[in-house]
Amino acid sequence: MDRLRWVLAAAVSAYACHLAVHHTTPIDRALPLLGVLATVLAAVTYPAVMLAVPVLILAEIAVPAEEVRLLAFGVIFAIGLIGPIGPIGRIGRIGLAIVLVVLLRWIPLDSVLWGRELFLLAIAVLIVLVLGSTRFAVAVAVITALITPAVPLRTLALPLVVLFVCVAARVFGMPKIELRWVSSIALAFVTLFFAWSGIVARAFPYFWRRAARPMPRVEIAQALPPRADVTFEVPPNAHALIVSGANVARLRRGTPLARVGDAVVRIGDAADWGYMRREQFYASRNPLPRDAAGQIRGYGYAAWVDGAGRIALPAGARSVRVVVDASLPAGAALQVEGFEIAPR
Amino acid sequence: MITAAVLALLALPLVMLRRRTLFAYYAIDLATWLFAWILWRRVPGFDPGVDFYLGFVALAILKLTTFSIFVAVGKDVRWSPLRAAIAAAIVYAMVIPAMVREHTVIDGDEPYYLLVTESIVRDGDLDLANQYRNLATSEAGRTDLGPQTGDPTGPDGQQYSRHEPFLPLLMAPGYAIGGLYGALATIALFGVLLVRSTMRWLEDEGISDAAARAVFPLFAFGPPVLFYATRIWPEVPAAFFFVEALRGMREHRAKRWLPALLGLVLLKLRFVLVAIGLIAASGRRKLVAIAIVIVPLLVMWLASGSATSVHSWREILPAPGERYVTGFFGLLTDGMSGIPFQAPFYLFGLAAILRWKNTPRGFRMGILGGSLYVLYLLPRPEWFGGWAPPLRYLVFLMPVLALGAASIWDRLSPGAVAIVAACTVGLVIHGVAYPWRLFHIANGENAVGEWFSRMYHADFSRLFPSFIRENAAAWVGVGVVVLFVVLIGRIGPIGPIGPIGLIGLLLALGFYCALQPPSRVEFEDAHVIDNGAQLYPDYYTLMRVTYRGGKVLNAGNSLSFLAREGEWTLHAITGLGATFEIGPNTYRIEPDPRYQTIRVKIPRSGRVALRCSSGAINVDRMERDE
Repeated sequence: MDRLRWVLAAAVSAYACHLAVHHTTPIDRALPLLGVLATVLAAVTYPAVMLAVPVLILAEIAVPAEEVRLLAFGVIFAIGLIGPIGPIGRIGRIGLAIVLVVLLRWIPLDSVLWGRELFLLAIAVLIVLVLGSTRFAVAVAVITALITPAVPLRTLALPLVVLFVCVAARVFGMPKIELRWVSSIALAFVTLFFAWSGIVARAFPYFWRRAARPMPRVEIAQALPPRADVTFEVPPNAHALIVSGANVARLRRGTPLARVGDAVVRIGDAADWGYMRREQFYASRNPLPRDAAGQIRGYGYAAWVDGAGRIALPAGARSVRVVVDASLPAGAALQVEGFEIAPR
Repeated sequence: MITAAVLALLALPLVMLRRRTLFAYYAIDLATWLFAWILWRRVPGFDPGVDFYLGFVALAILKLTTFSIFVAVGKDVRWSPLRAAIAAAIVYAMVIPAMVREHTVIDGDEPYYLLVTESIVRDGDLDLANQYRNLATSEAGRTDLGPQTGDPTGPDGQQYSRHEPFLPLLMAPGYAIGGLYGALATIALFGVLLVRSTMRWLEDEGISDAAARAVFPLFAFGPPVLFYATRIWPEVPAAFFFVEALRGMREHRAKRWLPALLGLVLLKLRFVLVAIGLIAASGRRKLVAIAIVIVPLLVMWLASGSATSVHSWREILPAPGERYVTGFFGLLTDGMSGIPFQAPFYLFGLAAILRWKNTPRGFRMGILGGSLYVLYLLPRPEWFGGWAPPLRYLVFLMPVLALGAASIWDRLSPGAVAIVAACTVGLVIHGVAYPWRLFHIANGENAVGEWFSRMYHADFSRLFPSFIRENAAAWVGVGVVVLFVVLIGRIGPIGPIGPIGLIGLLLALGFYCALQPPSRVEFEDAHVIDNGAQLYPDYYTLMRVTYRGGKVLNAGNSLSFLAREGEWTLHAITGLGATFEIGPNTYRIEPDPRYQTIRVKIPRSGRVALRCSSGAINVDRMERDE
């Protein structure tokens, strides 16, 4: 009877969320799924967590700014995770892991590779069981699932390796580890940004960093081949040049890309424009640029940030000379996106 | 202010929590600070226009909520009425600066009370004539003040306030020490005393510690007590005196109840009705009742030369029946001033009335004692409280309702408690972040309805029950609230899933319905987009609720709103005559000193423009002919 009640509650939540969908992003469109996940979370932890459903609906209809609204969804789920910090049973832990893996990987729904995702879900459940159904086990399982691109197929070896290590550790006497607070905070952090879980997975430091306020740009949009030598006039109040690479995803950190004025721009100052896409990430060797100026693109597990970096200009410079490194591979280019203008 | 709030939030748990519960609280506290810090660093990248003050208030209130949850369900809690009072003192001290933050001035009766206080402290009299002349020297921050219509005057040009001088007298020492903040601190001190007395009263009435701990934050940190304890109104001191009187009577201690009752009636003349009701309910002597009536009248006469101030003896004569109905159901369900929308926790107290015989004796005495007052409140045109934070006239009764809620706490559905707590959190965040929004003009809308209406340009306000400007939702709201109260009062605890699921569904259905074109359009409402039209009557018109009218359109002005297709009746008035267009149709209306009804046609559902092409017209409302 109790299970039937929860199934009914999930159905009602999904319908209510469906009615409330007003905005058009994949996360908003997935609101019924979020409603069901919140209900399942409540069922496996504490019933009061179900309050997340009306609050999600309220956020959908009351917060017009897209990113703030999506962040509000994340806050709601993060509170739902930190709130029920008390003990929950084995089924609860497994349910928690399933909810989080679905939340972090299955949105947008139309990009889900069903076979691989179900396999990953099964591995995540096994990791939870092997590690003794603790909150730490949930954290290991969820984070493993999160960082597994599943594209190409061989990347599914990663969760298998983690599972093997867990089994081995338990066989050799590793005790159950709870680490309740640390695990909860780690889970809450990844959940906070679930609307861009792809970025959390592939560029973890991105959300740790202070975000720069959006600033106007003067567009240049030029792709410069190796050995190119171009001088650009610096517009008034420009404080940085925004550059990214093309076809440089396989270059390692520190590889020179170009010289901007007197400064050498390397991989690490900027990256390949699309290196963080799910399909390209596995083959890429680029790190997140130190001063990332890329824009967030896509949603959920398909989200990524382009590899643009912010290169500071000397104060008072009227022009800047850009010389692309001659050692760049054929087909590679430095993309000069534009100047960023500092607010007056 | 923010640093002080942070320190207060860190100190708060030390008052009541200990050992593992204290450790667990601080762990969560640390985690929330961490996440708040992450958000603070990230959000500007998303939306530079985000209101960080609102964010900080929301964070502080969420922390207060966390603390409250720990107090309610924690294992290691040092609970006592005194500790509750200390916690309340910390919270009120934290909220007061928010109430008088930059650009926020005290409003309603508050500046008048402050002027009287200043007059007492600076001049040693009650004559406000010089105060009105030198408003720039007042700490009220209001240079627009003047005597109110009907304020008592003296033979030598003295200008007195209509407000009783007892509250200013109480605030005078505080004001002398700390100015405006000192006056506010005096009220907060009464708030603290109220919390202590109420918690002690709950103990006296046999309420379990668990129930008292659960009720305490909803009472002390929730509306309306929190808002009235941090602003200059006589309501919280009155509530304190009322509780003390009730406690004194229950303990048969005249030394307690008699001065408390005297304090109550001296605060406001209207509380004489409470005193009479209380004396009648407790079976005390009639002589005392007469004395209680005479003393405040005498004091008022001595202070201002008018025993009843702006009141008239005719006010105690019975009013037409329908006004009682409006007042009663308005207080019960109105979106702007009703208990469910402004202080939902007290619905539990109302539910306790249905379990009358099982409630504590103090609760019954309090309800009976307040009945006469409420009976006289209902038919008044300002049953909703006028220009004041919500539920002004019922604040004194809140401790009694809190006792009632505590008495049935074990029977309450956890889902209902969770929803009520969540709503309370929302109301507190809103009230603390935007204190000026605690005041709402009586126009049939409420802050939430207006906000959504403006955001979507659709009529969300029609979904909120209104007895100020009666709408279709009013009686539906009555049904829902009565059902809710009866369910809580008469049926045992039900699981949380149903109520929370239902609320989610109602929210979504409400949103869906609100976006549909309505069958009635009030032109003064927030969803109507106006192009040059003027609001009528002006926003701050005294007793604006009694006027008809909406928007005045001159030639070239227009209004845009959603409406359903079909035949409609437009209610409007014009002294000049006017030609106006609605959709493709043009209408001519002749001059008339009375309101006219004009049949108009809307060809299809959706956004409609009403444009005045010549003359001028004051449009009140438009109703679809069903």
